Amino acid sequence: MNLTVNGRVYELESASLTSLLDVLREELGITSPKAGCEQGGCGACTVLVDGAARRSCLLPVGVLNGAEVTTVEGLGSPDNLAPIQQAFTHHYAAQCGFCTSGMMLAAHAYVESGGTDDQQAITEALGGHVCRCTGYVKIIEAVAAAARGDSFDLATTAASPGMTNIGGVK
Amino acid sequence: MAPAPEVLSPTSPAEAAQAFGDGTGVTVVAGGTIVLPELTYGRLRPEKALLLSRAGLSGVSVDGPTTTIGAATPLADLTGLPAPLGPCTANVADLEIRGQATLGGNVCAGGGADAPRGDVQGALLALGATARSTGAGGEKTEPLEAFLDHRDGRLLLDVSFEQPAAGAFVALDRPHTHDYTALAVSAARATDGTVRVAATGAGSHGQRLPSAEAKANDPAAAGEAALADVSPHDDALASAWYRSKTLPVLVRRALAELKEAS
Amino acid sequence: MKAVGARLPRYDGVEHVTGRTTFVDDVRVPGTLWVKALRSPVHRADVKRLDTSAAESARGVHAVITWQDVPLLEYGHLSGLGIPADEPLLAKDDLRYKGQPIALVAAESEDAAQAAVEAMTLDLDEKEPLLDIRKAFDPDAPVIHQWGNWYPHFEAEMDRRQIRKGDIEKAFADADTIVQGVYRPAAIEHVPIETQVCLVVPEASGRLTIYTCTQALYFSMGVVAAHLELPLNKLKLVGGTVGGGFGGKVDTATETMCALLALKSGRPVKWRWTREEEFLCSSTRAPWHMEIADAVTSDGWILGRKMLTLHDSGAYARFSPYGLTKHSFHHTGAYTIPNLEFDGFVVFTNRVPTTAMRGFGVTSVSFAVETHMSRVAEVLDLDPYEVRLKNANRIGDTSPNGVVYTDPSTVPTIQAIADAMGHELPADYRAMSRHVREGALLPQHLVAQVGNPEAH
Repeated sequence: MNLTVNGRVYELESASLTSLLDVLREELGITSPKAGCEQGGCGACTVLVDGAARRSCLLPVGVLNGAEVTTVEGLGSPDNLAPIQQAFTHHYAAQCGFCTSGMMLAAHAYVESGGTDDQQAITEALGGHVCRCTGYVKIIEAVAAAARGDSFDLATTAASPGMTNIGGVK
Repeated sequence: MAPAPEVLSPTSPAEAAQAFGDGTGVTVVAGGTIVLPELTYGRLRPEKALLLSRAGLSGVSVDGPTTTIGAATPLADLTGLPAPLGPCTANVADLEIRGQATLGGNVCAGGGADAPRGDVQGALLALGATARSTGAGGEKTEPLEAFLDHRDGRLLLDVSFEQPAAGAFVALDRPHTHDYTALAVSAARATDGTVRVAATGAGSHGQRLPSAEAKANDPAAAGEAALADVSPHDDALASAWYRSKTLPVLVRRALAELKEAS
Repeated sequence: MKAVGARLPRYDGVEHVTGRTTFVDDVRVPGTLWVKALRSPVHRADVKRLDTSAAESARGVHAVITWQDVPLLEYGHLSGLGIPADEPLLAKDDLRYKGQPIALVAAESEDAAQAAVEAMTLDLDEKEPLLDIRKAFDPDAPVIHQWGNWYPHFEAEMDRRQIRKGDIEKAFADADTIVQGVYRPAAIEHVPIETQVCLVVPEASGRLTIYTCTQALYFSMGVVAAHLELPLNKLKLVGGTVGGGFGGKVDTATETMCALLALKSGRPVKWRWTREEEFLCSSTRAPWHMEIADAVTSDGWILGRKMLTLHDSGAYARFSPYGLTKHSFHHTGAYTIPNLEFDGFVVFTNRVPTTAMRGFGVTSVSFAVETHMSRVAEVLDLDPYEVRLKNANRIGDTSPNGVVYTDPSTVPTIQAIADAMGHELPADYRAMSRHVREGALLPQHLVAQVGNPEAH
């Protein structure tokens, strides 16, 4: 079967039940999606399938004939960063970087589908993504900034206004 | 090492039914959210896998008062429906998983060893839904309760229900989107006035709460009565004790919500 | 000094957001074999028989290792701090925690490795496990460690961390009330999003290149060299790109075993733990059991503290004696208590060995001490801020182990908290400072403990 990844068509050798994650990492050498849990619980494997954020560890590649997959490599490159990549860089939204690929693709899909800088809406959209390093505050600020269409000075990082009540707990 | 499984990708409901046969040795893959981890962790080594994504079993159709939902419909397509089904599906996992997980996969989920699955069973039971399935002996339509009791060897095709006059869905909060819901209650009042109440997480699968239904006009009394219908269990999410303390509260809230919606 | 005070972007920020950061599992070396482990299925057992022959001849398998392949089976990672070795790299005669590694396979695919593990035969004589640290001291408790049920090798071969200061009996006799509390924080999993992972490549030169997620490259290098009885210059560790560690990637849990498999097979080998292995078998922050009894006056002075700590080390010692030592120094927290009787034990159980996690040893006692201060205030019906400010460390006060404080910030910190919380403090409490105690802030019972901050 054929699979289009980041605009390039690949003819796959992997069996139909192979997860998209394993196809990307092991067969195609595209290593930005990560194997954080391989159970759909962490979001580190998230990629875009026809523009929608999906867990690649849960998708058998056999259902994706004709689909277009996007990973962060397809979003932008070091000298041509996509707005969401600039937002994450400027807002210091990545520490160890392991959750970053999945987190950014979910954020990208959110912004592309008209998501606003509302904290609650961002939390809802990215709810399946776990980060153990940052405490989420700067990730949410980065997504909000991208949703607003801010422009970013990549030579410096943003001061964090700080956020409270991230989870909306009353 | 297990031989590579035979993978079937039917392109119509009839083809899917034929490929399924009587279900012997067939692993059904709808959304894949339950099956893929089992494959990855080597706990499931299917002989034959049936991929339903292109079998034409997805979609919501409305015919007068009757709604029919294909078994392969993603939960994300159902979150906007009225209570109890809409909020019930919106409370499953997170956005990404809901875009992939299906109604059929959820309804047919086996009891999880460490956490309850199949939240949607509760909402559909409260809606008095029927299940159309195929398998040995061919196609059959029956009340969902009956389907749940013997779903081995059956391929769910779709569910149908009459749109309710009012509905409610109440659940224990989940600490995180990757947690299953420990306990949830769905309630619905049909246009003929019949009230149905169902719970998930209080037993091996979703179940009606007839003792609560009998006292539907008195939410608090119904809540207390509901305990007679269940045998809650301990699992990773909650203890039986906790479930028995919170079930009456959820039933009371669901029925109070139902009353207010009149 | 352009960098000081500037808001600098991460040097690896662009790599992270473009997916180019190379974590261990992203390193691709042709011919890499997959590793899977046979792990103990039970909490405690004697090994009657281990037969790996079916694995060795299984399809796609290039190497199998057991304890017999390890040149130095037991090496104490903190022997430099005086903690002797107690843990075999791979289980030998007995199993002491569920998930303990017994044998490892390197094979051409993940499936082949897993199938080979499942083909091994393991005959066990299951034994009653010890899972509750409080029961470790019972006369009829099973004895689960060669040193007994608690660590006996503190200095002078003491079996506990012990601190004695002042006259505890007098403090308790002089008290108006005794306030007691028991504090039991549970184990915590680190849950880094990147699981434990290691790739070892045998080079033509005879060196091993070890791609590792360890938090401590030189430390792990020393551990590997010790187990393998190799000189350090035979090893090259590549790392520092860690997908979260938080203390859970300091145990050198994969590197040595992968090195052995690489040497035995002559091929690169990679071991990536599943998330289930992380939860079931990886080391955790320790559970603790702490009992505090404070001798207090009705106006809120803490005259003395008796404390008993049981630290759950799991099946082996690892870093626990070090953690307990730190814990003992901090058992009065940010407060000055002149009469002390502290006993702390590192207790063994048949649970996963516990390890470092962000401030380990100290976080547990901080939690207990602060909660207990609030309890003291509650019992005495006094304001919790005032009880803290009164007893707070000041310049010249001394710690449990006799260190003289030269610059403690307790008083201004608590005042700032009161301010931020909108809590009105009385004038005399607002006027408090961290300077050397005098007057009403120097009651008789605190006089003897005051030290000379200049002499420090």
